Amino acid sequence: MQKNNNKLGWLFASPYLIFTALFFLLPLFWSLWLAFTDWNMISPNIKFVGLSNFIKAIKEPAVQSAFFVTYKFLIIFVPIALFLSLGVALLVNSLPKFKGMFMVAFFLPYLSSGVVTALIVKGLTSSNGPLSNFIENTFHVKVDWFSNPTIAILLISFMIAWKMAGYYGLILISGLQNIQPEIYESAKLDGTTPWQRFWKITFPLLYPAFFTVTILAVGISFGIFTEVYQLTGGGPDFATNTWQMEIYSQAFVNLNSGYASAIALMSSIITFASIGVIRKLLEMWGRKNGWQ
Amino acid sequence: MNLRKIVIGSAIVLAGVGGLTACGKSGNNASKDGKTTITFWAATNPTQYKFWQNMAKDYEKANPDITIKVSQMKESPTSEATIQAAIASNTQPTMSENISRSFAAQLADSKAIIPLQKEKGFEDLVNKRNMSKTMKNWEFSGGNEYVFPIYVNPMMFAWNTVELKKLGFDKSPTTYSEVEAVAKKMKEENSKKVIWQSPNLTNTTGYQRWFDFFLLYNAASNGSQFVSNNEYKANSKSLSQVYGFMSDLSKVGALNTDKTESPFEKGLSLASATGSWNFPYWHESFPKLQYGKTYDITMPPAPDGTDKSNIKTFADSKGIVVYSKATKKEKEAAVDFMEYVFKDSKNDLAWMKTTSLTPATENATSNKEFKEYFDKNPVMKKYADAVPDAIPAMDNSKYSEIQQAFSEKAWVPVVNGKMNAADAVKETEKSVNNILGK
Repeated sequence: MQKNNNKLGWLFASPYLIFTALFFLLPLFWSLWLAFTDWNMISPNIKFVGLSNFIKAIKEPAVQSAFFVTYKFLIIFVPIALFLSLGVALLVNSLPKFKGMFMVAFFLPYLSSGVVTALIVKGLTSSNGPLSNFIENTFHVKVDWFSNPTIAILLISFMIAWKMAGYYGLILISGLQNIQPEIYESAKLDGTTPWQRFWKITFPLLYPAFFTVTILAVGISFGIFTEVYQLTGGGPDFATNTWQMEIYSQAFVNLNSGYASAIALMSSIITFASIGVIRKLLEMWGRKNGWQ
Repeated sequence: MNLRKIVIGSAIVLAGVGGLTACGKSGNNASKDGKTTITFWAATNPTQYKFWQNMAKDYEKANPDITIKVSQMKESPTSEATIQAAIASNTQPTMSENISRSFAAQLADSKAIIPLQKEKGFEDLVNKRNMSKTMKNWEFSGGNEYVFPIYVNPMMFAWNTVELKKLGFDKSPTTYSEVEAVAKKMKEENSKKVIWQSPNLTNTTGYQRWFDFFLLYNAASNGSQFVSNNEYKANSKSLSQVYGFMSDLSKVGALNTDKTESPFEKGLSLASATGSWNFPYWHESFPKLQYGKTYDITMPPAPDGTDKSNIKTFADSKGIVVYSKATKKEKEAAVDFMEYVFKDSKNDLAWMKTTSLTPATENATSNKEFKEYFDKNPVMKKYADAVPDAIPAMDNSKYSEIQQAFSEKAWVPVVNGKMNAADAVKETEKSVNNILGK
């Protein structure tokens, strides 16, 4: 019986395994090999260049920028995304009726194309766009949306957070609905304020959902591309350049496939390491608060 | 053998087979039953695809032994990357269009395309189509001709003549001092407008320099090489003049690099560097823009004292290449197809009508075939006139990195008013030589 179940399990898992082997493992090994060559995928001559692609990448200002800019996005985007998604979850959860309908409404941006969102923001923030005109006419301030790196990173972070808030909110709502109403009732009888109930009951009990959302948001920070590509192209002066933007430029604009693969591998290692560290920190915080 | 081993084994075999298939599959069809089949990749633009489909149908009627399979090139993520992937997986077509001189240099460096002048009938085609001067501009280091240019879009300057008249200028400025005089007058009148507004002026992506720097450099240097034979060859005097001009405009606030929707079309800037592909869009979205009434087209501004009858500009130009992997018969069929299409100026006219891109022929303006079209579209005549004076992109496989490097180190700092012309010239040479490994 055990053996039959194993066979059936493997049979059902096989499409995924084959898909993974074809579209993840094979490209991964190929990329590993490419990273140590100078191949541009056109030339008949392929030269093994050892670690020189990696050394070049470490010295390159564009790659150094990608490294730091990604952490800037992480520091700005993750809190905004958590705050917005928690707001969505609390708001929808508190509704007496039509929770499903409102949740779908908040979820819709997640289904929209990043390109479309970026184009809308581009139109709104262009120097003769409605948002810029409104700010200039009302407050007599001219905002350099994308010439100022800080504003550009903030704006892109908000855009992605807006897009993801519905999805993350959905995860947080399921966490909220797992909290027994009796806990709130007894806390109310003890005379607690709503603020105290949020910090002492809701927030700690949402830990598993927060854990998931934080890790997902951190992952997104390392994969930002579409919005940057559409709005800033990584500029000004690489101030919004991300790993994905740099890999794209090297692989598909400069056609330096070997070098781009080296950057991709470096970014993967840094991404895994960073997510690992953040995960450990979150687990430590969870254990401190009674979560195993 | 248990099922686990079968599944893992199958996955590995499938992955291997997938890889080998990708390496071994051919995009070409060898001759079958005496018939030759060639594959042609058209640009992603639907109008160009339609043109080539029609041409292939006509050609097949006249040549029943040859079949041409026309398909649209994918632009995901870029058309260059699509060709790169096709070559890597050995699935490249027999021939494709939409190839710039710079990308052709990359392909030629890797021996992926053939020198066309060695093919029978090619030189004859160049003569028949009246494009000897254009081909001279397209010649690669070593004297080879890897690309047959289909269209040459000279990049020109559009000037808002209504605004110029308001400022007291009856003619569009063509020299640096004339442009600076307009800028000065604008500032005296506290105008919020600028001479040139484009966020791409400070975009460091290499190809963006085709639409600003190279217009000015070619105009200032009479089309001098920037990089040739893998050597930095830029004319320092002209380079200094170009940077000086942009620096002066920046200092007086006549440049704007904010992200703006259609600044020239909406009257926010007085000038715009533009190709002929913009006119159908202007006609549809900005019908008030009318050539000869509200705007004028000129060659790029040049330093004072430059011979105005011989100003050069940048050619946004692309053409056809034939891939090395094609068999002898397929190469012959490819060149024969090109000859069939371009020996007849009616097809060039059809091309221009369909795509609004200026064909690479030098006699369009004197050719009776085009007269009716140019009478209806006088602005296109201006572009066709400039075809022989339009210089295509550099023939260096590292063009993208070269153009990105000097954009970062010199062009963008100058546009932002943070670097003077003398330093920019030094930085340009240093950054380009760094990429060239000198």
